[in-house]
Amino acid sequence: MPHAPDTLLDLPSSTTQTVPEGPALEAASREPAFRHSRAQRLADRWAHLVFLACGLLVVALIGGILYFLAARGVGAFIPLAGNTDKVLTLREVFLSTNWDPNAGKFGILPFIAGSLTVTGLALLIAAPTGILASIFIAKIAPNWMKTLMRQVMDLLVGIPSVVYGIFGLMVVLPWVSGKWLSDSPAAGFAVSAAILAVMIVPTIVSLATDAFESLPLSLDEGSQALGSTRWQAIWHVLIPAARARLLTATVLGLGRAIGEAMAIQMVIGNNPQWIALMRQSTDQTPVLRLLFTPAATLTTELVQELPNTAAGSTWNNVLFAMGLLLYLMTMLIILATRRLSQRREA
Amino acid sequence: MPAPLPFRPRRFARLTDQVMRVGLWGLAAAFIAVLLVFVGVILKQGWPVLHLGFLTRMPETLDAGGGIKPEIFNSLYLVALSLAIALPIGLGAGIYMAEYAGQGRALRFLRLCIETLAATPSIVLALFGMIVFVQMMGWSFSIRSGAVTLALLNIPVITRVTEVSLLGVPRELMEASYGLGATKLQTILKVALPYAATGILTGLVLTAGRAFGESAILVFTAGTNTSQVFPDFRLTVPGETLSVHLWYVTSDGTLPDAREIAAGTAAVMIVVLLALNLLVRFLDRAIRRRTR
Repeated sequence: MPHAPDTLLDLPSSTTQTVPEGPALEAASREPAFRHSRAQRLADRWAHLVFLACGLLVVALIGGILYFLAARGVGAFIPLAGNTDKVLTLREVFLSTNWDPNAGKFGILPFIAGSLTVTGLALLIAAPTGILASIFIAKIAPNWMKTLMRQVMDLLVGIPSVVYGIFGLMVVLPWVSGKWLSDSPAAGFAVSAAILAVMIVPTIVSLATDAFESLPLSLDEGSQALGSTRWQAIWHVLIPAARARLLTATVLGLGRAIGEAMAIQMVIGNNPQWIALMRQSTDQTPVLRLLFTPAATLTTELVQELPNTAAGSTWNNVLFAMGLLLYLMTMLIILATRRLSQRREA
Repeated sequence: MPAPLPFRPRRFARLTDQVMRVGLWGLAAAFIAVLLVFVGVILKQGWPVLHLGFLTRMPETLDAGGGIKPEIFNSLYLVALSLAIALPIGLGAGIYMAEYAGQGRALRFLRLCIETLAATPSIVLALFGMIVFVQMMGWSFSIRSGAVTLALLNIPVITRVTEVSLLGVPRELMEASYGLGATKLQTILKVALPYAATGILTGLVLTAGRAFGESAILVFTAGTNTSQVFPDFRLTVPGETLSVHLWYVTSDGTLPDAREIAAGTAAVMIVVLLALNLLVRFLDRAIRRRTR
C-alpha cells in the first residue's frame, strides 16, 4: 500500500512528488523507511524461533504419546527387553471375551464392546436432545433464554467427572434400583449412559448451535416466503443444510464419551466378565439384561486395574495396549471430523 | 408477530409447528431442571458436612471425622503449577499460529495436532505421564509428575484461546504499530497481547476450572496420598487433590464416613466452580463492554 493518491488532496500537480516507476519503484519499496537496530532485529528473529518451538513441542507431544504408549502396548505381543512375562497373539487379545489375568487370559473384547455400548447409548440420548436444544437456542429462544441456556451448558460442561460420578453413585443408582428394579442393584450401562449423555450434551449443543447460527439467513427467509411454518423451515431446510456440521458435533461428542473414565467407573459396576454374566442370566428380557448388567469399558478397566499391576508384566502391557487403542480412536475421530469439514467446504 | 401469510399452511403443518415449539421449550426447561436438581442435590447432601472443621482438619485413613485441608491446598497448588508450565508454551504456540504460521500447510498441521491433543482422553494423558514422569524420570507419584502431566491437558486449551484472541485484534491496530516502525515482536508484545489479554485471561480461568476438576490424570501421577506436613510446597511429595480424594474415598471403602466426606468434597468443588464461572462471566462482560 504505497502512496495516497494525490488527486484526493486536490493539490496542484506541480507540488506532487514524482512517483517512482518501474525498477525504481521496486527498489524503493524494498528499501525500508528506516532500519531497526541490530538488537531489535535479533530479538525479532529469536522470538520467531521461540514461538515456533512452542508449536513444535505440541507436535512432538502427539508423537511422544503415540511412541510411549506403543512401546509399552506392543510389549504384550512381542518379546521386548524389559518383559518379564509371556507374549500373546493379537487374536488372544482382540478377539477373545475371556478376561482372567490370573489365568493368563487377556481378551479385551468385553471392554471394547462395553465402550462402544455405553458410548452408543449415550449418543442415542445426547445427539437428538442436543441438536434439538441447539435449534431452540439458535432459532426459537428469545435473547434472555439464549443467554440462560448458554449459562446452563457452560455449567454442565464445567462440572468435574468425579462429581457426576458421585451424583450417580449416591443419587441415581439408589433411585433407579428402588423405583424400577425392586432393589436389585442398578449399576450398568443404563445409568452410565444417562450420566455420560449429560456430560457430552454441552459439546454437541455448543457446536450444533454454531452450525445453525452460521447458516445464511436467506435460507430462513426463503422458506418462510414460500409459506412454510417455522418448523417446516427448520426440518426441511435448516437441518439438511447444517447436516455435515451436526455430524461433526456428534462425532466430537462421541470422542468425549469414549474417553470418559472416572464418572463411568463409579457407576458401571466394573465387571470384566459382563458378557458371560449376561448370557447366563435368563430372568429378564435381553434389553433389560444389557442395560443393568454390571459391566466394564476400556477406560474403567484401566482405572480399576492399572494400579495393581507391575510394570513389564503381560497384564500391565495389555492395559497399555488398551490405552493405545483409545488414543488411536481419538486420532481417527479427529481425522473423521477433518474429512467432514472438508466435504463441507467442497 | 409475523406478518400474515398470503395463504395459511395446512392444518397439520401448523399443528406440528405449535407442538414442536412447545416441545422445544419443554426440552430447554428440562435441561435447566437437570442442572438445578444436580447442583441442588450435591449442595444439599454436602451441607451437613460443610463446617469449618471439615475444611481445616487433616484427612483420616481409617477413622471417621477426617477433613480435607491438605486436599484443598494440593488442588490449588497443582492447578497453579500446571498453569505456570502450560501458559508460556500455550501462549507461544498460540502466537505462532495467529501471527507467524500463515495460512498454509504448516498451520493446518499444527491445528490438527492441537485438536488431537485437546481431544485426547485424560486417561491416555495419565498413561503417558505415568510412563514418562512417574517411571522413566523416576519422579514417582508426586506433585511434579502431576503438575507436568496436568499441563498437557491445559496446553491445547490455552493455545486455542490465545490464537482466537489474537485473531480478534483489529488489523488497523497492528498496522498502525508497524507504521510507527515497530518490529513484529514489539507489535505482538505491546499491541496485540495487551488487547487480547482479557480474552486469554478468560480462557485461563476456564482452563483452571478444568484442571481443578481433573481426576484421572492425577490418580496416576500425583497419587492418592498426601503429605502429613501442611502446607507442603515440596514438589517431590504425593499430592492428592479434592477430586482424587472424592473418588478415592468412595472406591477404597475403608473410611466409615466415606459417603459424608465425598458429599462434602463434592459440595466444596461445586462452590469453587460456581465462583470460577461467575469470574468468567465478569471477564466476558468486560470484553464485550470494550468492543462495543
